[in-house]
Amino acid sequence: MTIKPNVALAIDTSAGTTVALVSGGRVLAQHDIESNMSHAESIGTAIEDVLADAKISAAEVTEVIAGRGPAPYTGLRVGLAAATMFAAGRKLPLHGVVSLDAIALRHFAENGQSAKEPGTNDERAASRHLLVTTDARRKEVFWAIYQAEPFARIEGPAVNTPADLENILGDRPIEITTAKVSGEYIAKVAALIGDEKLDSSAIYLRAPDAVPSPGKKVSG
Amino acid sequence: MPAEIKLRQASVHDLAAIMQIERECFVRDAWSEQNMLDELAAPHTFYLVAEMGERIVGYAGLSNLAGSAQADIQTIAVSPDSRGLGIGRKIMFALTAEAKARGAREILLEVRADNTVAQKLYRVFGFKQIGIRKKYYQPDGVDAFVMKTELPKKQPIVLGIESSCDETGVGIVRGNELLANVISSSMDQHARFGGVVPEIAARAHLEALQSTLDKALTEAGISLGDIDAIAVTNGPGLAGALMVGIGAAKALAVALDKPIYAVNHLVGHVGVDLLERGALETPTIALLVSGGHTSLLLVNDLLDDVNLLGETIDDAAGEAFDKVARVLSLPYPGGPQIDKAAATGNPKAIRFPRGLSLPKDMAEHRYDFSFSGLKTAVARHVELAASRGEEINIADVAASFREAVVDVLVTKAIDACLEHKVPRLLLGGGVIANARLREVAAERCAKHGIELRIPALSLCTDNGAMIAALGAQLMMAGRAGSGLAFGADSTLPVTQVQSR
Repeated sequence: MTIKPNVALAIDTSAGTTVALVSGGRVLAQHDIESNMSHAESIGTAIEDVLADAKISAAEVTEVIAGRGPAPYTGLRVGLAAATMFAAGRKLPLHGVVSLDAIALRHFAENGQSAKEPGTNDERAASRHLLVTTDARRKEVFWAIYQAEPFARIEGPAVNTPADLENILGDRPIEITTAKVSGEYIAKVAALIGDEKLDSSAIYLRAPDAVPSPGKKVSG
Repeated sequence: MPAEIKLRQASVHDLAAIMQIERECFVRDAWSEQNMLDELAAPHTFYLVAEMGERIVGYAGLSNLAGSAQADIQTIAVSPDSRGLGIGRKIMFALTAEAKARGAREILLEVRADNTVAQKLYRVFGFKQIGIRKKYYQPDGVDAFVMKTELPKKQPIVLGIESSCDETGVGIVRGNELLANVISSSMDQHARFGGVVPEIAARAHLEALQSTLDKALTEAGISLGDIDAIAVTNGPGLAGALMVGIGAAKALAVALDKPIYAVNHLVGHVGVDLLERGALETPTIALLVSGGHTSLLLVNDLLDDVNLLGETIDDAAGEAFDKVARVLSLPYPGGPQIDKAAATGNPKAIRFPRGLSLPKDMAEHRYDFSFSGLKTAVARHVELAASRGEEINIADVAASFREAVVDVLVTKAIDACLEHKVPRLLLGGGVIANARLREVAAERCAKHGIELRIPALSLCTDNGAMIAALGAQLMMAGRAGSGLAFGADSTLPVTQVQSR
C-alpha cells in the first residue's frame, strides 16, 4: 500500500490572486496575479494552471486552505467562494487562515528571523515583534503584530487609521514588513497551526456601510 | 436449458462461421465471401457475433462514418435453429448502444417487406418505416422497407448557480427536466434599509453557498460526480454579488473537470419556461419585472436571437413598489405589502401618471419604462394630504399606484406583441407575484388572443434552476463551454446569451 502525499491547495484573494499547491512544505506550483481588480476573471485559470504546472489532477488534492482576509475588496469573497466549492467538489477538508499571518510567516522565513536561526536567543526573538499592515482603503489599515518564535499573532487583526495605530503602538520597538501574501505561506500557516478544523469565514472587520435612510420630502 | 449467449466483437477470423449463417439465412441473395471480408475489415464498421457455448449462432454489423450522426444496420442474422431465444433482441441492444457511443443521433436499416418478424423486433427498438425501395431484394423482386429510429440526445445534468442580487440560488436540471431548485434569500437583512444593500447581499451569498449546494444535491438525489456541466450567472446584476457565484462556479468546474457556461441572467428568466413545458415556444415577447429589472424582450430564439425592445430608464418596477411602500410607512419588501393594502382600495381613486406613455415620449421610448415620476407623484400626494391635515386612504393610494404600474407594464407588453405579430407573452421576475399584474395581463391577453405564460413563482423569482436550464440548452445545442476567463458584467446586454 502506498501512502498518498498530502497536497494542499491554497487560495488567497485578500490582495491580488495567489494560488499554490504545497506538499510536505514544498511548493509544487504557484500562480500570482497582482491585480486587485480581476479576481473573478483570474481564479479559475489560476487553479487550473497550478494543477497543470504541478502535473497533478484535482482528484489528488487532499485539502484546501483559504485566506480569510481581512480585506476591503469584494475580491476577498472570490477566493473564499472558490475554496469552498473546490473543497465541496472533491469532498476535502477546508481550512481558513488569517491572510496577515501568512505575510508574517513569509517575512520571518525570508529574513531569517526565526529562532531556529543559530545565534538567536529567546530574548532577542521576543523583542523582535513584527507589524503587518495592509491597505484597508478609506485611509485605514488592517494590522496585526507577530512574534517569531514560537510563531504567533499577539495582537490583531484590527482596522484603524495610521494615526490611531501609532498611538496603539506607542514607542515599543517593532519591525515593519513589506512582504506580500502568497499561497505558499497560506498553506504553511495552516500546516503550522495543525490539524484542528479552522474557521474559513471571511474577515471584514467592518460592518457593511449602509444606513437606513429616513426618507426625504419631495415637495416644497 | 440452452447455454448462455454471449456477444463479442467479430474479427476476420470469424468469416467462415459468419458465411455459413449468411448462406443459411439468405439462401438466394447471400453476400459473397469477399464482400463480407471487406465489411469486417472496414474501419467504419462494427460487427459482432453471438456465441452459444463455442458456436457462433448469429452476427450483425453497424456502419457509421467517423463524425456522422447517422448509423446504418448493415445486416443482422441468427441461425434458423437458434431463433426464438432472444438473440436478435440482444444484438439490437448492443448495436444501438454502439451507435450511441459513436455519437450517432439516428440509425437506419432496410428490411424485407415480407419479413414481419424482423420488422416487429425493429419497432420494439423505436424504428419507424420512412420509405420503400421497390424490388430491392433480387432475384426475388421483394421490396425493402427503410426504417429509422432516433436515438435520444444525452440529457446533461447541469448545476446552475445564481447570485446576481439578494438570492443565492442553486438549481439542477437534467436536460429540460427540473431536479432541484433551492434558494437562500438575504431579503430579511435588507429590510431595515428599504432596499437591497450590495455588500450585505454579497456577504450573504458567500455564507449561503455551501448549505444551498448541499440542499440542492439532496433535493435532486444526485452527487456532484453526476454533474455534466456547471452554469453560472455572469450578469447583469450587482458586480460584487455576481463575483461570489463566479468564483464558486469556476472552482467547482475545475474540481470536477467539467465545462462551465457563463449565462445571461435575463435570458435565464425567459428560458425557465421550458422546464415546465419541455420547450420554449418562439417567438415570444417576454416581460421581466423585478426589483432590479424591468425589461421587455423579443425572443425569436433562446440561444441566438434575443432582442431588447425596452427597459426602465430609472427605477425598476420592484424598486418603485419598495419606495412607495416606504412613503406609505409599509414594511419591506413593498410588493406584497402594497398588494395587500390595495385589496380593498379603489384603483381609480387617484389618477397617477403612466410613465413614458404620452405621444411625445412614445416616439423615443415606445417600450421603455419610467417609474421614478410615479413614485414622486405618490409621495407628493401623501405630503399634500398631510399638510392639509387630511387622512390618507392608504388602500386607495396603494390600489391607484399599483394600477398605474400594472397598466403601463401590460399596455407596453401587449403593444409589443401586436406590433411584432407575436401571439404569446411570457412573464418573469419577482414582481410577477403581484396578483393584479397577473390578473390584468390575463384579461388583456385573452382580449387580443395572446397566449400568456406565467411560470411557477419559484421559477419567476431569481433562481439557479433557470441558469442550469439555459446552460443545459447551450450544451445540448453543442455549444462549447465558456472557458475560465470570463468575469462579472453588471450591465451585460441581453443579446449576449453566453459569455466567454
